[in-house]
Amino acid sequence: MDLQALRQKEHQKRISKGYMWALLCAILWGLWYIPGNLVWYTDPMLEAWGAMAAIGGDSMALVVVAVVITAMNALTVVIALFVWNGVLGNIGEIWRTTKAFKPCSMWFLFASVFGGPVAILGSFIAMGFVGGAFAAVAALLYPVIGSLLAYFWHGEKITKRAAVSIMVIVVGGFVIFGGGVLTELKSGSVGWIGYIGGLMAATGWGIEGAIADKGLDISGADTGLHIRFLAEFGIWWIIALPLLTVMGYPVFTYALAAFEPLTFGILMFAGITFGFCYVSWYKSFPLIGVGRGQGIANLYGLFAVISIILFFGQVPQWTILLGGALCIAGSLMMMTEESLELETLR
Amino acid sequence: MSDLPRKVRLLEIMQDGKERWNYEIVKQAQEDYGMNSDFGRDTLNFEIIELAAIAFFKEVDIKVDEDGIYKKDFLLHKYVITDDGKARLSDACMYAI
Repeated sequence: MDLQALRQKEHQKRISKGYMWALLCAILWGLWYIPGNLVWYTDPMLEAWGAMAAIGGDSMALVVVAVVITAMNALTVVIALFVWNGVLGNIGEIWRTTKAFKPCSMWFLFASVFGGPVAILGSFIAMGFVGGAFAAVAALLYPVIGSLLAYFWHGEKITKRAAVSIMVIVVGGFVIFGGGVLTELKSGSVGWIGYIGGLMAATGWGIEGAIADKGLDISGADTGLHIRFLAEFGIWWIIALPLLTVMGYPVFTYALAAFEPLTFGILMFAGITFGFCYVSWYKSFPLIGVGRGQGIANLYGLFAVISIILFFGQVPQWTILLGGALCIAGSLMMMTEESLELETLR
Repeated sequence: MSDLPRKVRLLEIMQDGKERWNYEIVKQAQEDYGMNSDFGRDTLNFEIIELAAIAFFKEVDIKVDEDGIYKKDFLLHKYVITDDGKARLSDACMYAI
């Protein structure tokens, strides 16, 4: 084999690895919907719901319980990542990266703000006020925002083919959840708060990807992500939960109540799937770029539906098959792109 | 032991603008961080590949590792730092505590 052929093979390997990480992210993200849904129905969270509703009404109770769940989610992700980075021997690197605030960890702090209180909370709000299908569709738009930012800010190469593929995947997502969204939109009475939640999810995750990629220029994905979740952990446990306590909501009581075996087990399952979905997401960016990484990761919509069918036994509608086919077509279109186009990402 | 994040150190090794083979950069970084295992070597090499993917390093030459200097029969890459790489490094080192 000549040198150029060997070289091209290496590029292909790097790009395949990037797509593999993005796909793994989509699968784990889809799996996360199982514990993410289940945890709302555990005893401590149902009790919390009742108690918070008595204090501030149904709408506020929903947001407060969403904050408690998101805070617990951040805690279990941090635990899962300590195991991961401990095994990889990255603890020293986390400390070095954290100390380099301006070039590295500052970007992960911003990423945690957009990813946590904006995107994840927004997603929960959209779920609660409008419905799960609407929340999923709204979030599906995030790669559009992520790609635009990566293109204009980082000068990332987004070929026509990649842009069209991202749009096909987004349309596929819309078709998957289409019927459900219409029903939810008709029945929602305080929908506008939910729409804001949806907007928060799409913009939050899109902006997070582009900002995190700036930090990932000069730091590792595993360490960068851990710092991002440590920051999110701080936002919930040092700022949000104490603030809610001052406002009269006994959030710590219910956060501590979640440390019983079943609820914590479900939360740990959420932490592991969410933590590693995020690790895979961050790992794909330096290899294939933010636009492509987010585009493929968007297949989570399809995997979420598959997870829900497998674990909750809900019968799929025909729209799911059509939307799923579009998602797969879009991904194949992107993944089969000539690898020399991606020799450098910028 | 370097006190900089690994990718920043990799850029720093290259900041004099000299062309270096990947195994030379990896060897230096392995010493800096005590990452002497094969896993440590591959981790550092992969970080170099990531830096090249975002055009902070530019590849200037390639050859097959016939003598097993790094990994026998693998492709060796020679890199030089780019202007973008230098700019991000100066930003990084100016502010690193």
